[in-house]
Amino acid sequence: MTSLILSRLVSSFIALLGAALVAFVALRLAPGDAARLTLGAFATDEAVAALRSEMGLDQSILTQFYVYIRDFFTGDWGRSYALGEPVRSLLGQRFPATLELGLYAFCMAFVSALVLALWGAHRKGPISDGVPKALGVLALGVPQFWFGLVLLIVGFEMTGLFPGPAGRLPATVTPPAGPTGMYTVDALLHGDLKTFATALHHLFLPALALGLLPFGFLYRLLRANLEDVSGAPFALVARAHGQSRLRVMVATLLPNAIIPMLTASGLIFGQLLAGSVLVERVYNWPGAGMLVTQGVLQQDYAVVQVFILLSAVIYIVTNLIVDIVAASIDPRLAKGGA
Amino acid sequence: MRHLFLPFAILGVLALAVFLGPLLWRIDPLEMDFTAFLAAPSLDHPMGTDATGRDVLARFLAGGRLSLLVGAVVMIAGLVPGALIGLISARVGGLVDTVLMRVMDSIAAFPPILLAMAVAIGLGGGLWAAVLGVVVSTVPFFARLMRSEVMRIRSFPFIEASEAMGGTPWFTLRWHIVPHAATTMLVQCASVFGYAIITLAGLGFVGLGAEVPTPEWGVMITEGMQYALTGQWWLTIFPGLGILIAVVGTNLLADRLSKVLGGGNS
Repeated sequence: MTSLILSRLVSSFIALLGAALVAFVALRLAPGDAARLTLGAFATDEAVAALRSEMGLDQSILTQFYVYIRDFFTGDWGRSYALGEPVRSLLGQRFPATLELGLYAFCMAFVSALVLALWGAHRKGPISDGVPKALGVLALGVPQFWFGLVLLIVGFEMTGLFPGPAGRLPATVTPPAGPTGMYTVDALLHGDLKTFATALHHLFLPALALGLLPFGFLYRLLRANLEDVSGAPFALVARAHGQSRLRVMVATLLPNAIIPMLTASGLIFGQLLAGSVLVERVYNWPGAGMLVTQGVLQQDYAVVQVFILLSAVIYIVTNLIVDIVAASIDPRLAKGGA
Repeated sequence: MRHLFLPFAILGVLALAVFLGPLLWRIDPLEMDFTAFLAAPSLDHPMGTDATGRDVLARFLAGGRLSLLVGAVVMIAGLVPGALIGLISARVGGLVDTVLMRVMDSIAAFPPILLAMAVAIGLGGGLWAAVLGVVVSTVPFFARLMRSEVMRIRSFPFIEASEAMGGTPWFTLRWHIVPHAATTMLVQCASVFGYAIITLAGLGFVGLGAEVPTPEWGVMITEGMQYALTGQWWLTIFPGLGILIAVVGTNLLADRLSKVLGGGNS
């Protein structure tokens, strides 16, 4: 177990360095002078030279990479030229909104995937199994930002059931002051049920739009896993003991089908982060994803760079945790190390 | 083969429409009709017109051609280096294998669309920078799959037989390993095709894909977004449906192909 954790730590560290290198190379592919590009064609040569040395572009490429890595891991993430604030405080302010949206999206996706996969495996009819399967295929083919717009057209413009793309709360409601920055949680902590309900109402459509892709992914994975384990000898044994089909499903098949889903957690986080970039813009959701889209549109790339590298870091760290958790649940993994 | 009918029908109809449609529907996607701004779908303009009076159907068809073309380009441009890396990694092994796979892991640690964004920004934006970004993000998919396929196939007795009969490593690779890996790679190609279309549209939506007048589905949705809630739904609904049909068609093709070809590990 210790050796497994050590080897995972080492390989995660290498992956982190690799990801930083990939981001470093990708963002410096452009031929020409980054300082000149930032300042535009009309800047004086002195100003460009000054920015070059400020950005460290006059140093060797190795030194630049070292500085890049050092700054990233020490939290010195530069500043946004358009918003005039350090990237770290910007992301810090906006991240709770993205986290809250992502949490609700994930919960909706996970619960519906779980229920539909169990129902389909339990009763293989055209409606119980066929419709969810078709939904799973559709969910992976729908562009999230477009689905967000369709939900707005139907849920807001046509029926008026849900609020329009006005962010997290209406302007007339003061956001709850609170420790988490997640409005539904903070409102509950203050016992303010009215604000809680309003925040939930505003969350529903964007969370649905963001959750569709993870839903399709999780549903298909879980459904296939359930199919696989239902043929396993231990499932036969459980049935031969005379347990009811439902009991076999929930007590025997589900735990075995859900463990492989753990390893997909990193991918799911990635999908949610990438999706928030697309969905938040549709709903004017003031989160980190919106910051990224604005950064791209205004060619203010400091936030974008950090967000992209952070997404890889989150993926690597999640996988590290998942590997260790999976090995402690399933001793075979700790021994094989695979 | 009847499993493949539905996906082929979906993709076939779409391809016929976007490639042959312009022969029947002879309106330029950039031409502005000054008598019809934001006109609802009608016989003159079956998908309506946009804010500058351009015909949405003509733009839809042109966008479809671009999307299918990009799908094919990404598929091939990702497959060739990816398969080569996987092949070399599995065949040479040792340090080369470790280094190559670590590089692939590093690339695959990024959510694909965010990596494509980084590359597109690094290259200064534009359609082809975005396409290259998508290509880079697909290489690890192909490389890892090819590597595991070669490893899997290499353990079969017919490889030993080929070597025992004096087949050189190159001969065995060319005639025994690659043909068996091809079916799995084909399935991967189909899913990358759809993935490329949806990702390029997403990049266009955040302003990193095609430039604004270009009829590209993602850009069309962005342009139409401000009218979506004022009643002009046709500007956003049709291009989105285009993406949906193309991607669901290819995903379905990938699913069914893997079932028909019996590739167990895809």
